Amino acid sequence: MKRGYLGLWSILVLTFLLFITASSFDSINICGLELKTSGMYDRLIQVDEVKVSGDTVQIDNDDTFKRQPVDTTAQNILFIGDSMLEGLSPRLAAYAKENGHKMNTVIWYSSTSNVWGECDTLKTFIRRFKPTYVFICLGANELFVKDIVKKRDKYVKTMLSQIGDIPYLWIGPPNWKEDTGINDLIAANAKPGCFFLSNGMHFDRAKDGAHPTRSSAVQWMDSVVRWMPENCAHPIRLNIPQEKTAKPQRVVVLQPKR
Amino acid sequence: MQLQDIFSNLMELLSYDATAPMIFSSGLFWFLFILFMPIYAVLKNRRWQMLVFVVAFSLYFYYKSSGLFFLLLVCTSLLDWILSRVLVKLDSKGAKKACVAASIITSLSILGYFKYANFFLWNWNQMVEGNFQPLDIILPVGISFYTFQSISYIVDVYKGRVAPTRTWLEYLFFLSFFPALVAGPIVRADYFLPQVEQNSRPKREEIYLGFWMIILGIIKKAIIADYISQYNDLIFSSPTGYSGFESLMGVIGYTMQIYCDFSGYSDMAIGIALIMGFKLSPNFNFPYKSKNLTEFWRRWHISLSSWLRDYLYIPLGGNRKGTIRTYVNNFLTMLIGGLWHGAAWKFVFWGGMHGVGLAVHKASKPLLDKIPNIYPVKLLSWTVTIIYVSLLWVFFRAESWTDSWLIIKNIFTNFSVAHIAAFLEVRYVWCIMMAVIILSHAMPRRWYDKMGEMFVNSNWLIKTLIFIIVVQFVIQFMSEDVAPFIYFQF
Repeated sequence: MKRGYLGLWSILVLTFLLFITASSFDSINICGLELKTSGMYDRLIQVDEVKVSGDTVQIDNDDTFKRQPVDTTAQNILFIGDSMLEGLSPRLAAYAKENGHKMNTVIWYSSTSNVWGECDTLKTFIRRFKPTYVFICLGANELFVKDIVKKRDKYVKTMLSQIGDIPYLWIGPPNWKEDTGINDLIAANAKPGCFFLSNGMHFDRAKDGAHPTRSSAVQWMDSVVRWMPENCAHPIRLNIPQEKTAKPQRVVVLQPKR
Repeated sequence: MQLQDIFSNLMELLSYDATAPMIFSSGLFWFLFILFMPIYAVLKNRRWQMLVFVVAFSLYFYYKSSGLFFLLLVCTSLLDWILSRVLVKLDSKGAKKACVAASIITSLSILGYFKYANFFLWNWNQMVEGNFQPLDIILPVGISFYTFQSISYIVDVYKGRVAPTRTWLEYLFFLSFFPALVAGPIVRADYFLPQVEQNSRPKREEIYLGFWMIILGIIKKAIIADYISQYNDLIFSSPTGYSGFESLMGVIGYTMQIYCDFSGYSDMAIGIALIMGFKLSPNFNFPYKSKNLTEFWRRWHISLSSWLRDYLYIPLGGNRKGTIRTYVNNFLTMLIGGLWHGAAWKFVFWGGMHGVGLAVHKASKPLLDKIPNIYPVKLLSWTVTIIYVSLLWVFFRAESWTDSWLIIKNIFTNFSVAHIAAFLEVRYVWCIMMAVIILSHAMPRRWYDKMGEMFVNSNWLIKTLIFIIVVQFVIQFMSEDVAPFIYFQF
């Protein structure tokens, strides 16, 4: 190989090997600076058959929970989660507007359960907005995390403990591939009737292949709402709105954590 | 974990996945390029073997993005090549024209079916108040780019500007050349084919200059454009959900995003081609420095605007048929240029408004030329141009007419300076990114050349370190998934 090519090729090979080696770690901490790693290693070694990696989760939720009647009072809704809220939040806001509820949204881009669980951001927003009902949509950025139970169980628990006794509904991530256990993990931790499994639903995806399109997200939210009266532990009044989407009272956007 | 699992995952990664087209900023591309390079280096001097190898790689590259549609590319190229060979052997002008027409009609029919069939059906149903059921058509990636290349080739052969390639392989190499295949720059046969014939080895400086361009492209596309898009998307997905100031920032952000996204991808394409020993003409030349719309279109997507000029505007009569016809030709060219970007009225409107802007500029040029070219005038010209261009990007980006107007209305009716401090505090990374791109746009061209020269002459370790730092930045700022390239859809 000619010298010029050899020099460039060796730069590319060295860089590639460095990053593929680094990707076998979740992140690397250098002098307090957390360096993210790429997902290359995981993509290569993931095994399809493994549904839940790490410790197994015992789903001991009692399906025969006592369902509350539909609460027709006006609610103060807080909707938190990752970028999936871009599509879901305007539709839920339309429901809120139609039914006389107030609604605030907190979108934390690229967030995961550990991002929320290792800080008191959720608690802060609960204190600030004083919600009577919390919707969560989180987990899309953790679909392929190895040893998920070991790594994320405590954070999911922390999040739910921050919500405390406020009625909530956790909307599961819209899987585009089988996950390594995040859905099971959330289902195991959430109270009965407080988890909506989105896995298995069909979505029209945006160009990134992950996010549902805006109209598909509207249908997704509609499905959640249709599911609630019969299956949710704390159903609230959510009559079909006349408007397709609406604006929440306030949208707080948090940048990805670095 | 067994080897067969790794092998099976690798096979899955290498197979066609409609949701994960291969783009230059993806890890998979660089993995394959590492395998490609040593073989290419060895074969570079053996012209025919090199051609076969690059064509095979290009077709695989296209397969990875568009599946079996690579066969469509193969068939189109075969038909074009046969027609071009037949064309030069014919004596009758009418027969020659028939060959050109056959090639162009075939290319445009394929493009029309895949890209515009649903658009026309939808409009037809709107007119007759029918029940529109969209056809299940998948748009092959990059079809707009290679269709234009194929048209320019047959026209150039007809006009005698370029000789038809001796073999189909050479033509397929030209049409499927992977650096420019899916998103341009639109390569012109008269510029590219002599390089294929010559097949000269790149110098060491050219290889590293290509690498430098790739690094610049990665910074623009994978770091800046992908990051700032997160905020911009939010504004465009909820047009009335934000204050006027935030909407304004979203519009400015998208103006910069589309430039970084597209010019970054072009830089990578040009850089990869340069490493391979082929020069592609530049596609961008600091377009937001333009002081009028005519200048903007000489600096923005140069390969498309020059193609439209040479194969549409001039054949329509250009400026040779009087003032009114010049304006009309200009307007029609831009209208079609708009439609080229996508099968939707918003693109037609965007193109049409640029046509109007160009016509107004041309009409007022005699008057404008009388104004002294002093600094305040330059500043005013630049301001008017950038505002016009940015406002038109709103129509280009927004989902619908209503959204476009809502965003613009929101800027003017819901604007408050009170939001500025909070915005700077919460979105400081976005602001830093924007500052970087605005400042880099303001830098003189010679600074870039100097930086490129310094990089080329730096030692191996420095180059490696720079590349590692840039890749780490990409990972650090990456959103949940690699953002698709905006111009992919065209």
